Amino acid sequence: MIEAQNLTRRYGDFTAVDGVSFTAADHEILGMLGPNGAGKTTTIRMITGFLPPSAGRVTVAGRDLFEAPREARRHVGYLPENVALYPEMRVHEYLAYRALLEGLTGAAAREAIGEAVERCLLAEVREQIIGTLSKGFRQRTALATAILHRPRVLVLDEPTVGLDPKQIIAIRELIRELGRERTLLLSTHILPEVELLCDRVMIIDRGRIAAEGTPESLRESWVGNPSVKVAFKGEPADAAAVLGQLAGVREVRPGPSGPGSLVLECERGADPREEVFHAAVEHGWTLLELTPERASLEDVFVRLTTRDTSAEEPGPAAAAGDASDASESEPAPAGAEAEARGAAGHEEVPS
Amino acid sequence: MRPFLATFLRELRAYFLSPLAYLVLFFFLIINGIIFAAIIGFLSDPRASGTERPMDALFGGGGFFFWLVFMIICTVLTMRLISEELRSGSIEVLMTAPITEAEVVTAKYLAALTFFCALWIPTLLYGAILAHYSKVDWGPIAGGYFGIFCLGAMCLAVGIFASAMTRSQLVAAIMTFTLLTVLFIVGLLGNLFNNDTIKQALSHIDLVSHMDEFRKGIVDTRRLIYYASAIFFFLFLASRTLEDRKWR
Repeated sequence: MIEAQNLTRRYGDFTAVDGVSFTAADHEILGMLGPNGAGKTTTIRMITGFLPPSAGRVTVAGRDLFEAPREARRHVGYLPENVALYPEMRVHEYLAYRALLEGLTGAAAREAIGEAVERCLLAEVREQIIGTLSKGFRQRTALATAILHRPRVLVLDEPTVGLDPKQIIAIRELIRELGRERTLLLSTHILPEVELLCDRVMIIDRGRIAAEGTPESLRESWVGNPSVKVAFKGEPADAAAVLGQLAGVREVRPGPSGPGSLVLECERGADPREEVFHAAVEHGWTLLELTPERASLEDVFVRLTTRDTSAEEPGPAAAAGDASDASESEPAPAGAEAEARGAAGHEEVPS
Repeated sequence: MRPFLATFLRELRAYFLSPLAYLVLFFFLIINGIIFAAIIGFLSDPRASGTERPMDALFGGGGFFFWLVFMIICTVLTMRLISEELRSGSIEVLMTAPITEAEVVTAKYLAALTFFCALWIPTLLYGAILAHYSKVDWGPIAGGYFGIFCLGAMCLAVGIFASAMTRSQLVAAIMTFTLLTVLFIVGLLGNLFNNDTIKQALSHIDLVSHMDEFRKGIVDTRRLIYYASAIFFFLFLASRTLEDRKWR
C-alpha cells in the first residue's frame, strides 16, 4: 500500500513534481506513464525514500518514509531506471550482500536468495561475475535484489528497457505474478505494457497527474467514440447511406484503404457490427473487413501530453469545465490546455 | 547492525577483488622491504650509532619520503569508496535499503581502515626478524605502530570525506591529497614563527612531531584526542555531505 499526499519536489527554481497525490492498494499494479522529464523518476525516488519531498508526505505500508525511514524502507523493493550493481562481485555474492543489507541472515537469507534466483531465472548465472553479464541478466539480478526481502511494495522504473523481446515477455510475466502478491508501481514508456499489466494508470505530465483511471476508462473518457472499419468488395454505391441508418452509427466517413472502405463513427458504447453484417447480407454485398477500431492508450497519452493537440481539442473532461485549478499551474500558454489539465487532475475516472 | 555489517564486508571484499589494492600492497611492501634492507645494513655496520630504535625508519624516521608514500596510500585507498557509488548510481539502491548515511560512511571507513591495517601486518615480520638476531625494545615499536594507526585513521577519514564530495575518483584523489598536504604543512609552519605561543599551538597539530613521539614509545593523550576528534569531524562531514545530495 502506497499513499502519496501532495508530493512536491523542487530543484532550485524548477518544480519537477508538483502536488502529486495518489494511493496504490495492495495487490494492485499501478502504472505510471509520462513523457521524458515529466517527473516520473523524481516521484519514484520520493516513494522509495531516496529523495525527500520538498512538500507532502509518503507512507508505505502505513509507515512514513521520512519519519520512520528504516521501517518503511524494509517494505520497499526498488528497481531503479539505471541498474547499477557492483561489477566485481558474483551474482550469488551480490545477492547475499543485499540479503544481509536487508537484515536477512542464515537460513532465511538462503531461502530468500534461492527463491529470488528461481523467480528471476538466474540459476545459470549464479556463479558469474556481474560485470560480464548481459544487460538482461543484470536487469534480472537487480530485480532479484528488489524482491529478495519480500517487500510489500515493489517499485519498478522502466523494467523492460534494453531487453530483447523474449526477455521482455519473461519479465512481464514475472511482473504480473509479483503484482498479485503486493502493491506494484510500474513506471514505463511502453504503452502496450501498461495495457497488458496495469490495473490502474496515472499519466504524469509536467509534474502533475494529468489523468488517472483504468486503461479502459481512460480510453473511453479521453478518446471520443468507438468506430468500426468496414470494407466491401466492389464499390456498393448506397452502402454509406444504408449503414448511416443503422442504430448507434453517428457518421459514415470514407475509409483509409480506398474505394469500398468506410469508417463508421459510433455512439459511445455502441457496437453495430452485427447490423453491418445483416445489412451486407440483405443487400448482397461481399464483406471483406469488419474491424472495431479501439482507441489506444497511445492516443490518450499523446492527447494529454502534447501541448498543441490538447489546446485545440480539449478532452471531454475539460468540456465538463472545472477551471479552478488553472490559476495554480505555471503561466499557461493556452487557457484551454491549462483547463484540460486542471480538470483532469481532479477527475476520478470510475474504475 | 546487519546492514552495517553487510556494507563493511562488501567494501572489504571490494578491496580484495580490485587490482588497485594488490598494486598498493605490492609497492608498499617493496618500499618497506627496501627500508628494512637499509635498516639491516645500518645495524650490521659496526661504526653505526643510535641503533637502539632500529624500526624508526619504518615509522617516518627516514624523512619526507615516508609521508609522501603514506599520503598516496591513504588517497588511493579512499578515493573510490563513495564517489564510485555516486558515479555508477548504485548509491540509489544503497540509500533505499534500511541503512543511514552515517552507517554507510562508517562501514566504508572501517573497511578502509581494516585494509590499511592489513597492509602493515607483513611488516610485523621485520620486528620478528630483528628480535631473532638481537635484543629488541618493543615499546617504541608498539608506539610506532600505534602512531601509524592513528595517523592512518585520520588520513582515511579525510579521504572518505573527499570521496563523498564528488562522483569522480580523480577529483576525490586530488582533494584528499591536497587536504592531507595542508594538514601536514600547517604543523610545520610553527618553525616560521618566533612567537612561542604560536609555535606551541602549531606544534599540537604537527603530524611530524606526533610521529616522533610515537616512535619513541610516548603515547600522549592529547595526541589521541587530536586524532579522535579529527576522525570524528571528517566522518561527520562525509556523512553530512552524503545526506546533502538529497536536498539539491
